[in-house]
Amino acid sequence: MKARTELLAASAVVALFAAAPYLAPLVHLDISIVSEVLVTAIAVMSVNLLLGYTGLPAFGNAAYFGLGAYGAALSVQYLGFHFIEAILVGTALAFVGGLILAPFLLRRRGIYFGLLSIAFGQVFYFIAYRDTDLTGGEDGMTITRPYFGIPPAHVAIHELSFYYIALVAFVLALIAFRSVVRSPFGRTLVAIRQNEARVRFLGLNSDRFIFVALLISATMAGVSGALFALLINFAYPLELDWHQSGYFVLSMILGGAGTVWGSLAGAFIYVIGKDIISTITPLWQIFLGALFVACVLGFPRGILGSLAALLARSSAPAGVDPNATFDAHTPSEVNVGP
Amino acid sequence: MAPETILLDASHVSKVFGGVRAVDDVSMQVREGTIHALIGPNGAGKTTFFNAVSGYAMPESGHVSFRGKDVTRALNWKRVAMGMGRTFQTPSVFPELTVDENVRLGVRAHAGQAFRLRTPRGAAAAAVDARVDELLRFVNLAAQRDRLVAELAHGSQRLVEIAMSLSTDPVLVLLDEPMAGLAEAETDRIVGVIRDLRTRLGLTVLFVEHNMRVVLSLADRITVLDRGKLLAEGTPAEIAADESVRDAYLGEGVLEHV
Repeated sequence: MKARTELLAASAVVALFAAAPYLAPLVHLDISIVSEVLVTAIAVMSVNLLLGYTGLPAFGNAAYFGLGAYGAALSVQYLGFHFIEAILVGTALAFVGGLILAPFLLRRRGIYFGLLSIAFGQVFYFIAYRDTDLTGGEDGMTITRPYFGIPPAHVAIHELSFYYIALVAFVLALIAFRSVVRSPFGRTLVAIRQNEARVRFLGLNSDRFIFVALLISATMAGVSGALFALLINFAYPLELDWHQSGYFVLSMILGGAGTVWGSLAGAFIYVIGKDIISTITPLWQIFLGALFVACVLGFPRGILGSLAALLARSSAPAGVDPNATFDAHTPSEVNVGP
Repeated sequence: MAPETILLDASHVSKVFGGVRAVDDVSMQVREGTIHALIGPNGAGKTTFFNAVSGYAMPESGHVSFRGKDVTRALNWKRVAMGMGRTFQTPSVFPELTVDENVRLGVRAHAGQAFRLRTPRGAAAAAVDARVDELLRFVNLAAQRDRLVAELAHGSQRLVEIAMSLSTDPVLVLLDEPMAGLAEAETDRIVGVIRDLRTRLGLTVLFVEHNMRVVLSLADRITVLDRGKLLAEGTPAEIAADESVRDAYLGEGVLEHV
């Protein structure tokens, strides 16, 4: 996509979300649901970086999401921290979680990476589940949403102001995500997905790249989890559970693996779909499953991935024969010596 | 360095798969500035030997030294940093990236830019651009730079892979069957590129090849493996006249017309 077109499209999407508090009531949508879309999109991005870009089955990102949620909730409950401080604590906790788990994960590939990710996530799940004194165990912990924290410090955060905080957080996360995946580092992650052996034979230690990708992913999931806890004023063990990781993966596939905007599209479909269907029937997961199957069959590259492929095809230069062989070798006069 | 400098020294290298000694006590040396061919019937252990030398799969026993340093246990990416490049039987490329991006990744890796979270600008970016241009022109793929590698013909993919293995400024390039599966015209093109590796870039080349016409016309020295063991080593003329080599290839008829 041309830079101008992308900027225009991005501005339009952000403008649409900025107007959402006025648009959502028209379709009987609670603005906190749209907040959840934005917050979830950040977690989906964290999965996208590992799975969509690097090709690592990130089936345990709920661990970092849950650490972010509990970090925020606990710091509000026991330390009386304000909103911004709670977000920072939750994010820091998820980062530390990533720092601890990354050394175990970074040499694993394929299904082993996926299984180990799930296993680590379940460890955190059971800690939160069993440690009833601190976390409230199975029942979770309810908190009162704190004041904002930095001047104007004593501003209560209502649903509307939370929404705009979530929007700002999402836009910042998206810009960060985009610049990471477009950077030389991000291109190397894509290269690792396509052919890790060749990356190593370009003289690069791919484990180092995966280590940093894990840390970035954990941090993003932590931001998302902390915001989520403060959105619903509640932290509960299922946030750490592998089902939660599964929803992130599902949303990423729906939206488009390896695309910058796919995470938002996927989170939108998942959260709004869940909200609408669950008001109609308690069996919402069946219908969401059917939607998922339909999407994978109809748009195997996700909504945005398929859209991008369609755009690329329509703008491809005509008359290029993919099967053309090269011309006979004609040594040129350039000096390519080291 | 003097032409007699030994660049790669493999001594008593063995690699076992289950009960099979795929490479059995093989020693060979590659001298700087030579084009050295490694030949042998299917299953002779040529690729396994390549893997041991390049660090793709470590040998069970024996030693490999490169540029005078013992690299027997060195990880593959460290050997690349020391100046070893390699290609694979099936071109090892990034199929869903463009030709330009494939080569650029290697150039950036060598320039220490692969880890950057911001795309470099200015002089650093210009140097990378210039180097990518150079490499693409060397393999004559500049016109196809924006094509996805998956869309290219097999021979062109090999050239992309060669350009990538050159992007890290190696002194020794290991080419594993660079002509496999190519048509005559494409083979001639790769032969031209391999000659250029030495004459224009001053590199040392070790290559595996089945096509004896190519081997005898390109190589300065030939090492022959058979069933994991070293069978013979010498100049093309010596190898062509060697009885044991003729026996090993008996029935394949490859040496009949040379």
